[in-house]
Order: sequence, then structure tokens, then C-alpha cells
Amino acid sequence: MFGQSRIAWRVWSLLLLAQLREQPVRMLITVVAIALGVALGTAVYLVNNAALNEFGLASKRLVGSADLIVQGPREAFPESVFVTLAHDPAVSLASPILELEAAIPGVRDAFKVLGVDVFRASAMQPQLMGDIAPHILQLFATDSIIVSNQAAVQLHLRRGDLLQVIVGSKAKTLHILDILSPDTYSQSLGIMDIASAQWIFESIGDLNRVDLRVKNGVNLESFKKILAAQLPASVLVITPQVERDRAVTVTRAYRVNLNMLAMIALLTGAFLVFSTQSLSVLRRRHSLALLRALGVTRLALQSALLGEGVALGVAGSLLGVLLGTFLAAIILQLLVGDLGNNQLQVVGASLRAAPLALIAFLIIGTVVTSAGAWFPARSAARQSASALKGAINASPRTGAGRYFSIALLGLGIVLTRIPAVGGIPLFGYLAVAALLFGSILLVPLLWVKVLRKMPRTHHVVLDTAVAQMRDNVKLSTLSLSSIIVSFSLMVAMAIMVYSFRVSFDHWLTKLLPADMQMREPLGNDTAFWSVQDQARLTAVAGVSRIDFRRTRLISLDAVHAAITLIARDFNVNNIADILPLVQSSALPSTKLPPIWISEAVQDIYGYKIGSEVVVPLAGRQHRCFVAGIWRDYARPAGAIVISRQAYQTATGDHNANEGSIWLSDGQNAARVAAMVRAQFALQDSIEIVTSSAVKERSMKLFDHAFVITYALEAVAVLIGLAGLSFATSSTALARRAEFGMLKYIGLRRRQVIGILATEGMLSSVFGAIFGLTLGAVLSLVLVFVINRQSFNWSIDLAVPIWQLAILGLVLVTAATLTAIISGRAATAGDAVRAVREDW
Amino acid sequence: MRIALGLMLLCVGVSVRATAGSDVLEGRALTFPGDYGSHAEFRTEWWYLTGWLKTEGESLGFQITFFRTRPTVDVDNLSSFTPRQLLIAHCALSDPQRGRLWQDQRIRRAGLGLAEAMSGDTHVWIDDWSLEHKSATYIAKILAEDFALNLSIRTTQQPLLNGRAGYSQKGPSPLSASYYYSIPHLQVIGNITRDGKSDAVHGEAWLDHEWSSQYLDGSAIGWEWVGINLNDGGALMAFRIRNPKGESHWTGGTLRDAHGTTQVFQPHDVEFQAKRTWVSPRTGIKYPVQWHIRAGSREFDLKPLLDDQENDTRLSTGAVYWEGAVSASEAGKDSGRGYLELTGYGEPLRLR
Amino acid sequence: MPLKAPARLDIPVLRLEGLVKRFKVDRPALFEGLNLELWPGEYLAIMGESGVGKSTLLNLLAGLDHADSGRILMGGIELSNLDDDALTLMRRHSVGFVFQAFHVLPYLSVAQNVALPLDLLGVSEPERSMRTTQMLDAVGLGSMASRYARELSGGEVQRIAIARALVHRPALVLADEPTGNLDSRNAAQILGLLRTQIKANAGAGILITHSRVAAESADRILVLTCDGLVSLAASA
Repeated sequence: MFGQSRIAWRVWSLLLLAQLREQPVRMLITVVAIALGVALGTAVYLVNNAALNEFGLASKRLVGSADLIVQGPREAFPESVFVTLAHDPAVSLASPILELEAAIPGVRDAFKVLGVDVFRASAMQPQLMGDIAPHILQLFATDSIIVSNQAAVQLHLRRGDLLQVIVGSKAKTLHILDILSPDTYSQSLGIMDIASAQWIFESIGDLNRVDLRVKNGVNLESFKKILAAQLPASVLVITPQVERDRAVTVTRAYRVNLNMLAMIALLTGAFLVFSTQSLSVLRRRHSLALLRALGVTRLALQSALLGEGVALGVAGSLLGVLLGTFLAAIILQLLVGDLGNNQLQVVGASLRAAPLALIAFLIIGTVVTSAGAWFPARSAARQSASALKGAINASPRTGAGRYFSIALLGLGIVLTRIPAVGGIPLFGYLAVAALLFGSILLVPLLWVKVLRKMPRTHHVVLDTAVAQMRDNVKLSTLSLSSIIVSFSLMVAMAIMVYSFRVSFDHWLTKLLPADMQMREPLGNDTAFWSVQDQARLTAVAGVSRIDFRRTRLISLDAVHAAITLIARDFNVNNIADILPLVQSSALPSTKLPPIWISEAVQDIYGYKIGSEVVVPLAGRQHRCFVAGIWRDYARPAGAIVISRQAYQTATGDHNANEGSIWLSDGQNAARVAAMVRAQFALQDSIEIVTSSAVKERSMKLFDHAFVITYALEAVAVLIGLAGLSFATSSTALARRAEFGMLKYIGLRRRQVIGILATEGMLSSVFGAIFGLTLGAVLSLVLVFVINRQSFNWSIDLAVPIWQLAILGLVLVTAATLTAIISGRAATAGDAVRAVREDW
Repeated sequence: MRIALGLMLLCVGVSVRATAGSDVLEGRALTFPGDYGSHAEFRTEWWYLTGWLKTEGESLGFQITFFRTRPTVDVDNLSSFTPRQLLIAHCALSDPQRGRLWQDQRIRRAGLGLAEAMSGDTHVWIDDWSLEHKSATYIAKILAEDFALNLSIRTTQQPLLNGRAGYSQKGPSPLSASYYYSIPHLQVIGNITRDGKSDAVHGEAWLDHEWSSQYLDGSAIGWEWVGINLNDGGALMAFRIRNPKGESHWTGGTLRDAHGTTQVFQPHDVEFQAKRTWVSPRTGIKYPVQWHIRAGSREFDLKPLLDDQENDTRLSTGAVYWEGAVSASEAGKDSGRGYLELTGYGEPLRLR
Repeated sequence: MPLKAPARLDIPVLRLEGLVKRFKVDRPALFEGLNLELWPGEYLAIMGESGVGKSTLLNLLAGLDHADSGRILMGGIELSNLDDDALTLMRRHSVGFVFQAFHVLPYLSVAQNVALPLDLLGVSEPERSMRTTQMLDAVGLGSMASRYARELSGGEVQRIAIARALVHRPALVLADEPTGNLDSRNAAQILGLLRTQIKANAGAGILITHSRVAAESADRILVLTCDGLVSLAASA
């Protein structure tokens, strides 16, 4: 006797091969949809993995074999801290470092410079320092710097060249002693002797990092605690792993968008499989029943049908993984590996073999697809035997889905309340999936209700169409489900992106009230304007007023990335005019200086309005009062606004590095900008632009970032539409006998096509309305759960009504046109033959 | 001793100009304890402690060296990290029972109290490695990766002034010279730790202290140096500097006999004759480890405590050389214990 | 490997004992107390008015439906004792079907359609081809083996169905209105063919039809009424 599996296999190959032969294009589209989802997921993962790996390698090189890193605020701590640490009996080696982001004239981004004691650092970072050993003594020259290969490429430097850096508002010249090999360090970096760095950057006596190696047998955790108690406020002891984890946290958030798209494509694919399989099961009901009658067991039939779906899933996933790997390779070739987001710039990231991840994506794609094939396979196997009796009962078991659907919807709502897991809105995504599936299960139930409510019009075409759909709810809803999935997800994404855009626009307007903005290179530690500089700038003709700001990076704890402290001038009573507040309180009688925290600080550190928090300023802890929470789209790690007066009192730092310029009436911005520049020896040392240009550039960047989103959404909907059109055409072909009969009883061909068109239109109108509603619900999850949990910032819901209306219209038009085209094809043949050919 | 200079020159490289330091001139009388201390105005300086130690049943050689050098730096730089002086320490323990050499090294900039060479009397340290002279006793503390030395070294004799009253010429030019004294017959007690196991030791040692601004001229590629505590209470120091052909470029030496009479040798008084070579299994370098030496009228045979006393400092300074404990005999009769240094046997030391 | 145990001549191929079938529990029975014995070599026609339950009876015989009471014994085995899989295997081995609507797989070739039961029984080459060819020749489709089923006319399709029903030599062939969709000339040919092939196979056959003309191609005729199966003398 032959085994069941052998027979199932035989049935499967018969069915699948026949399917392939019958419906190659549809199978192809299904495979492509799955492939797209898997490819997107794979590519996002691989690019991110490559970038993170590169970042990890780079940070490993920077950290070396240190057991602990004592890290201060960017404005440094006194070097006596290092001396104390070096003398500590538990420490076997201490390596002092001054780590700075230097401002380079005419270069937008700051340049990382490490001032090291090579003798100590070479034991700690042997790979990084290895190349330097032959140059140790030349490096002692105060103007000597050794730069990484990447820095040499970015700044167009060769050995022996001179490099200007801005310190305060003056320029200093460094001499390129040597260029490290690309293998030594792949990112942009400059290395100087610690004494030179202190001297050049006017930081005599300052350090901001000490790498420690402890003696054998010292317990790291307890030693960490002892150190933390001894060190000045704002100087933190961290383990090297934390340093690396910070990067992971930073990158985690921006993957949300692309992951969401991957999910849309994959789910669309799965529903396409679901509808394709359901339809093909319906279409083949006699064949399947026959196979059952001939002795194919239920299980064998179900396995065979599931096998069809699995085959599609495997093909699609395999294609997707290949495509995704290819895509990732291209992205890494063309861009730096940061997915177009400046939060983590990593160059030279290369694709890494990630066999486990690829297998995982293969499995995910296959499983999701198989799930889509499982339902139709099961129902086909259950009911096929009775199909022989002649009349096919194609109406759905409406009752069964209801409770499951309600359960899923309930689950979805509950899932939205669960916080993020390690910064990933995992449950948010699951909520989207649950709500989506739950709603899709409701489609037939609702569709039946709608059709039943549909009044009789005594218009033969309309009435016939409604009657036919009422009778074949399952058929018509199946073809709708995949388009509803992709359409609703697209609507959700469109609402989220639009909401974000509107909020971003408002935010920019609020933050850029002045005519012009000026600042030193982004994120640098070395350039600033002294009080004299500020006075000179304010005195420039045509300048009515300048609001100077001082921004600094500070660490609130040893775990999270540094946040930005913004000290600016404002009248506390008018704070709402200058900050996009989302929450604020009246100032209490407390004497503590008020601060306004960004939502990221609220989310990450759990600070609340009215909390008293400790902010490290100039090496001392300052108790402050949280007076408000504001929205910040620029600094995902968090930001705190404090009055400049309070900042200056606490730190004695009267310098500034950013400013907003108000022009006198009728002044020409370009002329004033030129005059402001003329105040500095190095004219390109500052960035000065009109606020409208900043805004324009920001919005352009925003749209640029979402181009891929729009493109992929469109593809998802196209695939959904393709699925719909296949469904329509195949059901139309299957109904040729019915059409033949209608022609016999006297309907004209136009009327028959009209019935199909009406069916297509009615069902797509239903689909569009359902999709819009579902999309709106899902967009709430995207906006208020996934976005918030990923980025730690809020956005206000805004609905792009026209955009959605047009989308809906396109959907209905496409569906109707498809129906008409299918109708024409189906009614083209010989009516008599069609009646006879009822297989 | 002199390897210090080789290391420094390798490390100091091109930027150090020959004039960056006071000149060594004949006729400056050495005064103590002031000259035990550091001479920061000279470019290079070292304290070189070598000797034999005994545990229960073991004979070991040890070597502790502190070098000081002055790189060229921007004197305006107010940073306390400015490397006005660099300090290098090297420590090795010759262990014939294990057939190996324990060694470790450190290099630091002086300053912030973490590494210093003090003037006035010997007191030099790098982190927790130190050598200090106090009331006729040197205290040496070395805490290396896998071994440690904690020694108390008592002086029993007056310093032996090498060359002409401490002015030691190193080549035909009088500018190529150093101030140089040795202290032989130091009595050592203390303990050593190897792989966490501590042993009490005692023994006899030799100290060299030498400072200079221009040590060698351009025609030297390496040298032999030996310092022997003679059994009769006398002491011998002899050196030979070789030219690129391997011939003697300059030789010198000092002998103090049992009665305290000092004899300073002229170049023609000293001869070095290699007797047996040993090939390092690690580097493939061939070292003559057994010698016959003539110093004036006396002739000595030198035999190493163990063959493998090769020092590898390529990772930090780029030099590989042989430095180890040797025993001396005269006419087949055991006559003393000391240390031998052989340099320039691998690739020629690039000296300038 | 024998396809199946040789048909036993000492027990009926099919035996019905007091078979009752209702549409719903509380409704009057569709039929009640059906009794029947069918012996090897017998070819029986069952007639009945529309709605009297002919197709239901067929489904019951095929194990596709369950009786409310009474027993169906196929080759001595009671069907109600078998689970779905066992019923499926029983069908696979012992029953051949010919349907009113031509239930062939349109996307398979004629030969593939006929060979399906052999595939399911795991018959391998060359036996499979040999039997398929024999069967196709027997029903007069030898020249059309490689054509697709959907390219053929109704009569030709029904020939495929007959070939498929008999290719694995089942003990019982069930034919449900096999000529329902055919013109009278084609119908006569098909009925003749069906009878010839059942007889050639030495199995038993049941023809379910509402047509007296069709029924007369069988050895004997029973009429299905709500009271049971009533004999009607076969008139040659």
C-alpha cells in the first residue's frame, strides 16, 4: 500500500501544476506580493544590521579593551579625576581622553577628535593606536593630528595638509601628520596627543573620558558603584556595552516606517493568497469534490491545498530574500548605511552574511502565506464531499467568524495599551494585525447586512447584481478582502504621514519665528561666540535683535544617550509662544529654576510635569522643576530647555553657539547675513540662513524621507488591485453559463456587462468605505501608539481628506473597470456552449 | 645599560635634534647625593639595576631599568600632559629552572605625579613601578603582569666613577660621551612573585647610572657591555661598540680591584672574543652568549646563566636584544657574577 | 501486488437493511425501511420521481452522507462503522462513480483523468498506462488520450467518466443520471457502454435515473418511493 503522504504529494502536484498552467499571471502576482513584503523586511534588516555592525566595530575600536568608561559631560571634568582614578588600587590602567566634536569651517557636521595619551591608550585600544606608534614623537607637536582614512576622504586631506578648526570664534591650524589605514578605523576621526588637544581646544586641565582597566579579581559592579559615589556629579561610569547599546537604541526608532511597509506588503500578499486560494477552491469545487469521491482523504486534500499556498509562500519568500539582499547591497553601495536618517552615520558598512536572519525571513514569509492558504484549504476539505450533490452552498458560515472577529478586535484594543518592548512598539504592530484580521473577518457579515438592506429598484441590472452578490457573498467578499487589507493599511499610513507632516510644519513655524537662524557647525563642542562676539553681532547694522542660545550635550544617566540642553532667553510668561508645548503648568512658588522637557525626556526618563529633577551643570547637580513638556522632532534622545539666565548662574558660561536674528524693517536678509559673516575671520565658519530656507529645506527632507513610503504604498495597492481584477475576471469566467442563460432570457450583452460592473462598483464602494474606516482606526494606532513608542514624540492627528477621497475614487474606478473588462471577456463566447460548460 | 639609549633613539626618531640637551664635558666633578638624582637638562638618562638572586635552591638573574628621555615639545603648552620628559621602565627576570625570561615594560610621560624622575637623589617611578634611594638603600618595586619584584638593595661600596672621573667617552669624538658611575656589590634582600607564588630572595646586584645628550656617533651598530661583581670584592665594567663591519669601533672599561684601586682602560686595553653562539628559536637571531674578555692584564671567561635571555621589546620600542646573567671565571676559576648585554645582532640598530 | 482482494461471490456487494433518511430530525422521513441486496455481476437501475431522494441514496451508498437508521453493508462491511478516512479508502478501492454533470478535471488530459483512481491506489508504471490505454480503447477514446478534457464534447466527457469509474475494477459502480445532459443518440451509446463495461468487469452496478428508457438498460429496475424500493419487472 502506498503511503498517504505519497498520495497527497501526487494530488498536490496535479493540483498545483494545473493551477500554474491555468493561472500563471495570478500566481506570479501573488508570489511578487509576498516577495515584496519579505524583500522589504529583509532589506531593512540587512541594511540596519550592516550599519549597526559597522557602528559596533567602530565603537569597539574606540572603546578597545576597557572594562569601564568614566564619562563626563561634553564640557568636561577636571583632570584631577583622572589622577585619582590612576592611583586607585583597584585600577590597573587608566587612560585619559579628551573627546571633542570639533567645528571645521564650511563643514556642516562636527568632526570627532580624540585627544589621547598614546602610551596609555595603546594598551587600551591597541588596534586603533597601532598605526600611531611610529609617529609618537611627532604627534607631540601641538599642531599634529592623525586622521582616519574616512576623515581624509570627507575633508579632502592628504598627509602634510593643513586643517583649520574653529575654537571659540577663532580658527586654529592643525597639521596632518598621517592618515590611518581604512582597516584601522572606518569612520571619521582625528587623533591628537592629549596635551595638544587640551592646548589647541583651550581646555587646559579638562578631560571628559577616562578608560579604565581594573585589576584581576575586582568586582566590576561593586567597583562601579564605589566609583559612582566618588565621582563628581554628571560624571558617569558606564560599561562599554552600554556605549554600543545606545547606538542600537538610536537606530531602532527609525526602522518603524519601513517595517510597517514590509508588514503591509506581506499582509497584502497573505490576503492575496487567501483570496486566490479561496476563489480557486470555490472555482474548483467540483474537481475537489470529485477527488474526495474518488478516494482522496480529507487530510490529503487539505494538505494538498495548503501545499499550494506553501509553494507560493516558499517561492515568494525565496524571491523576497534574494531581492531584499540585492536591495540591501544597492542601498549600502549608494548610501551610507543609515537609511537616509542622520541619526547614525556609518560609512563603509558592508553587507554581512546573516544566514539565520535570512532563514527567519524565509520562514516568516512562508508561514504568513501558509496561514492565508490554511483557511480555504480547511473549509474546502470539510465541505467538498457534499458539493457533489449539485447545488453548491457557497455562502459563508457567517456565525463562526463573528466571535473570533470580536475577540481579535478586543485583543487589538488591549494590545494598544501595552508599552513598547525595549523601544520597539511590538504590541502596537500586533494590535494593527489583530485589528486588521478582526475587521476582515467582519467583511462578509457586514456585506450580507448591506446587501439585505439594499432596496429593490425594479431596475433589472441593479437588482440582478444585488441578488447575485447576496447569493454569493463569499465570492464577492473574498475578492474584496485583499484589496481592503492593502487599501486600509495604505489609508492608515497616509493619515500617519500626513499627520506627521502637518505637525512637523507647525513645529517648524513655532521654532523659527525669527527672520534668520545662525549657528556653529552641528553638534560641535569647540566653536562658540563669546560675550564680545555676541555684542558685535547684535551691533551689526540691520539687525534688530538676536536671541542667542547655548546648547550642550549632557548625560542624565549612565544608560541613555546624551540629551541636549538648550539655554535660551525668554520671558517665562510667554513660553508658549516660543516652545511647542504639549503640557504646561503654572509656575509654582518654588525657587527652583524651571525647565521644559521634550516628550522624549518624559518618555525615556519618566519625568512628569511638576517633578523635581536633577540636571548636571558644570559638574554640579542642580535641582530643577519641570514646568512643561514640549514637542521636539529634532532630538530623539531628548532635550531640555532652561532659561539662559539660570544656565549662566549655574555654569558661568556666557557663550552662545546658536542664534535667531530679527531684522530691522526693510532690511535685506542676504546683505545682513554677509555683514554678520564679516564679523568673523573665517567667513564660512558659521551657518546663517533665513528661517524660510530652513523650513523649506526641512520640509523637502521630510518629503524626501517619505518618498519610498509613498512608492511602496502605491505598489501594495497596485498588487491589491491586481488581486481584485484577477478575482473579478475568474469569477466572471466561472459565471459564463449564468451569463449565457441571462442572454437567453433576453438581456442584452451590455446589460450583462452592466450587472458585472454594478457588482464591481457596489462591492468596491463597500470596500473603499470599509477600508477608509478601518484605515482611520489603524491610523490611530500608528499615530498614538506605534509612532509615540518608536520616536518618543507625539503628533496631532490630521486627515488628508482629499487625498483619501481620490484614493477611494481610484479604487472604485479601477474595480468597476476591471469588472467591465472581465464581463466583456466572459460574454464574448457562444452562449449555448457556455450554458453547457458548467463544470 | 646602553640598550636604553638604543631604545630611546629608535623611539625618539627624527624629530629630536642632537642639540636638545646640555653637553657632557670632561672635568665636571660628580657630587653625591645630587648626582644620584635626575638630570632633566640632559636628553637621556638611566638607572640600570642588574644582579643575581637566590631563592631556596634557585639562581635567578634580574634587571630593573628606568630610562628618562626629553622629547622636543612646544614649551608654551600649559597642559600638564605636555610630555616634557618621557619615562620608560623595563624589568626582566631570568629563570633557568623554567628556562624562560619574565619581562614587562612601561612607557609614560612624566607628570601629574603618576610618573616622575626626581632630582636631588634617586627617586623615579611609573605608576606602581618605582626605584628610590634612601639612606644607603635602594628600594625597587615592580608589579608586572605576571610577576613582581620587591627588593631592598643596600650599598656596600662607594660609587665607581667610570671613564675619567665619571666622564665616559663613547667614540673618537669627545662630544660623544656620558656621565657614568656604577655601584657594584649591592646586597639584595626581598621577595619575588611569579604566577602568584611568592619567594624570599637574596643576592648581589650592580647599579649603573648614566646621563648624556649625545651618546653615540653614526658609525656604531651595536655593542657588548658587561658588569661583574668579582668574588674578591673587586668590580669590572667593560664595553665594546661595534661598527657596521662588526669590528670594534670603541672600547672602554673600569676595574676596581679588591683593594679599591681603580684602573680606567683605554680602547686598546679591552678586547672581546666570542666563544659560543646561541640561536633564538623565536627570532632566529644568532647571539654570541659565551665570551673571552681581556681587560688590561686580566682575562675573563663569561658563561650565561641560561642561553635564552633574549629581550623582546619590539612592540613598544622596536628592539630585540640579549641581556642576561653571566658568571665569570679567570683561568678556569670561578671569579664573579654579573650581567652581559648584547645589541645589534638582529637587524642593525639604526642609530644616528 | 494485488489491487484488492478478489471479489467474493458468496456475499452481496451491497446490502441495505432498513435504511431511513430524514432531511431534518423532526421532519417526516425522505425514505424509510429500504432493503436491498446486490450480488456480483448484477446491474440494477433505481428510478424515482424528482425529489424522492435518489441522489441522497447515492450519497449514502458512497459513504458521503449518513443514514438516520438502518445499515449499509459494502462487501460485508458496515459503512456506519467506518470513519471518514476509512470511507474514503473504501471508495477509492471499491467504488466507481459516473455523475450527471460530467465531473472530470478540465485541466487534466483525458488519460490523466482516467488514470486518477490508479494514481490514488498507487499503481505504478507500466501497469497504469496499460490499464488506462485498455480502458480508453474500450470506451472508444483511444485516439484522444492526450487531449484536455475541456476540449471534448459532452458525450466524450461522459465516456471519460465511465472509463475512470471502471479503470480500477471496483466492486461497485454508481452511476447518477449519466445521460442527463446528453441527446438521445449519445445517451443510448453511453448506456450501452456502461452496461458492457460493468459486465466486462464482473462487478456490480447501480444506475440511478428518472428515465425509464435509461433504466431499461439495466438487468432489473427498482423504484424508490417513500415506502422503500419497489420492484418493477425488467422488460427487455
